[in-house]
Amino acid sequence: MKENNPLSPHIQIYNWHVSSLVSISHRITGIVNYFLSIFICIWASSLFFGEGAYEIFKIFLNSIFGKFFIIGFIWSYAFQILSEIRHWFWDIGLGFELKTTKVTGLLVIFGSFILTILIYSSRGLLPL
Amino acid sequence: MVQINLPQNSKVEKGKYFKDKTGSKNIRKVNIYRWDPSTGENPRIDTYEVDMNNCPSKVLDLLNKIKNEIDPSIAYRRSCAHGVCGSCAMNMDGKNGLACTKPHAEIKGDINIYPLPHLKVLKDLIGDLSTLYKQYESVEPWLKTTSKTEKENIQSKEDRAKLDGLYECIMCACCSTSCPSYWWNGDKYLGPAVLLQAYRWIIDSRDEDRKERLKKVADELKLYRCHTIMNCTNACPKGLNPAKAIASIKKMLATS
Repeated sequence: MKENNPLSPHIQIYNWHVSSLVSISHRITGIVNYFLSIFICIWASSLFFGEGAYEIFKIFLNSIFGKFFIIGFIWSYAFQILSEIRHWFWDIGLGFELKTTKVTGLLVIFGSFILTILIYSSRGLLPL
Repeated sequence: MVQINLPQNSKVEKGKYFKDKTGSKNIRKVNIYRWDPSTGENPRIDTYEVDMNNCPSKVLDLLNKIKNEIDPSIAYRRSCAHGVCGSCAMNMDGKNGLACTKPHAEIKGDINIYPLPHLKVLKDLIGDLSTLYKQYESVEPWLKTTSKTEKENIQSKEDRAKLDGLYECIMCACCSTSCPSYWWNGDKYLGPAVLLQAYRWIIDSRDEDRKERLKKVADELKLYRCHTIMNCTNACPKGLNPAKAIASIKKMLATS
């Protein structure tokens, strides 16, 4: 009889709030960063294969899609770093009050965008 | 496993519409999840127009009014109506809570009422909590001692204070059924309600089985499926903090 009983709705009806949004984004950016680190390795290897190979990456990264890619890349890392700091505090048992989690969650979200702008706009400052 | 979509037999369909018969000008629409085990049909959402001029303040009052005056066939659990027994836990306006302590005035727009999420439905708003109760039993929620003394087992005020924020739990299951980790791994992951209870016995100064209790709960699936999503603490109608209790167990394991 139990086999035919329906499953009550879950993610379809449950409200999102700051902490659950940050949590799922932490998971997604974690997976994205995994693939991005592979991209960084290939990019670094291109140096090894000479100027021509590196040039391909340069052209890609200077295209509009490439710029979009790099900004998304920076945001994904920025988000992951800030969210990870939040997790460190949790790991030592701090910041579990509902209000605190809401504030730190918002800090992670807005902080990730601010950090992205800071990092992207400082790219010219490096002597590359 | 993560399964976002509901199985075919759980897809919710449009149900009946109960029009207001009182002629009241203060009407609210209440959408309620219905499933009748005797028909073999899919679950549906019935909509009721309710006269709010003659309805007390809580969602449970609203349900009682519908059951008494509009549709007696609707099934839900309730007992004390004062937030003590935990029977009327359900999902209201997309958030778990006790119908008897949730004011309907806090809900904007139509009032949507579902059973607790991701449970096998027995009828209408009644979910099957037997897995959760089995898991509760598995943490052996009673004092365990090996030393035999004739005297009273005394607890200091400080040690007693450690149980504050834990002993108040009424096992309504609002937290566990709000937790996405529990949705996807509810058969193995213990879930916030049971882990809070586990912690309540772990830190009780009178219990002599702490080491064993910690060893038993230190499991990739039983404990560490908690990713601090915080849905549990957000849902708890008693204002407790299961996420913090789980973190305390993790911390004890990391530092012991």
